[in-house]
Amino acid sequence: MVRLITHNLLACHVKGCTSNNFPLEFKDVQVELRDAEFNSDFLRGFIPKIEWKALVDAARQVGNTSLPLELPEMLDDDFLKSLHHVLLEIHVEEGSMTCPNCHHVYPISNGIPNMLLAEHEIG
Amino acid sequence: MAPSVTSAVVDDKPEIYEDNHVHDVYDQIASHFSSTRYKPWPIIANFLATIPTGWIGLDSGTGNGKYLPLPLERPGSIRTIGLDRSLPLLEIAKTAGGVIRDVVWGDILGYGWRTGAFDYAISIATIHHLATPERRQSAVQRLLEAVSLSHGRILIYVWAIEQDELSKRTVPSNSYSSQNGQDVLVPWVLDQPSKESHQPGRVLQRYYHMFAKGELPGLVIKCAEQMGLCIGASSDFSTGGYGVEIIQDGWERSNYYVELRRWQS
Repeated sequence: MVRLITHNLLACHVKGCTSNNFPLEFKDVQVELRDAEFNSDFLRGFIPKIEWKALVDAARQVGNTSLPLELPEMLDDDFLKSLHHVLLEIHVEEGSMTCPNCHHVYPISNGIPNMLLAEHEIG
Repeated sequence: MAPSVTSAVVDDKPEIYEDNHVHDVYDQIASHFSSTRYKPWPIIANFLATIPTGWIGLDSGTGNGKYLPLPLERPGSIRTIGLDRSLPLLEIAKTAGGVIRDVVWGDILGYGWRTGAFDYAISIATIHHLATPERRQSAVQRLLEAVSLSHGRILIYVWAIEQDELSKRTVPSNSYSSQNGQDVLVPWVLDQPSKESHQPGRVLQRYYHMFAKGELPGLVIKCAEQMGLCIGASSDFSTGGYGVEIIQDGWERSNYYVELRRWQS
């Protein structure tokens, strides 16, 4: 599934595309919301690894504006609940992701992102 | 009688050979294969049980995603993202354990992640499907690059030439090579022969490189050297370096495994 937790890790890997290749930009998305089990311990451990601006931007691209532009210092329950929802409950089912650098398009179909490249595109 | 394992010769460009003898086969056998793969191996379950809460990991060659729900005793405390080349297997993996999982369709030789994005990575029964030593080494390098250079942990599992007695497979001994491993084709019986219609059973051949003793850690060391990493425990090196330590390597039930830890001193 392309949830924003996955999106925050993906980068373009076309041959020679090594800078400004993250984050990929969502286009023409169909989104579904599904409940996931809330686990605050996981979130607290995971937060330091998030590329925050990329997450905020990606959330806006899929229609969610609940996250603050800066990561707050106080991680209260309200914030953690919003973060949980953005990372784990928004599912991009269809659409695509475009590299900001080389504009390669990675399609998303049936909730699965296609990161395969042709042999000549692999670095 | 079950068809037996035969010697293989990689007689095409490796990526084409793998398409025909690995990718196409898994796409065809996905649901049948998945129904036979449900028990996690102990070493892998133990490895995942020691991963700290809040860590994120990559399962490179996730297959039907049977490791994505682990550790079962604290579900949701870590998140493993499954990568595989087979879309039919990913369709199964994306709801492994009855919960929605994060899966990505991709190649283990590709690199679709920001560098060092993961805290841990596992690659179970996957690298042995690559048809040349160079490609197997590249796959190990991708794992070393995928994890944090200061604390990343890695577990790799591959088939061994040395099969245990319980295994139903017999390995041909004619081209046995104790140092370099052995290339074989392993049959998968898709349909049993039908007596009424006199239809022969359909058998698909999967390519494997069966690893020799010492070959897997050898691959890791070669890879680490090429990446300019120190090899050993961080305490043995001066500060300011990057390295990888082999935590354990061994044989478990017809497979060789190696556990690694990246460090920054």
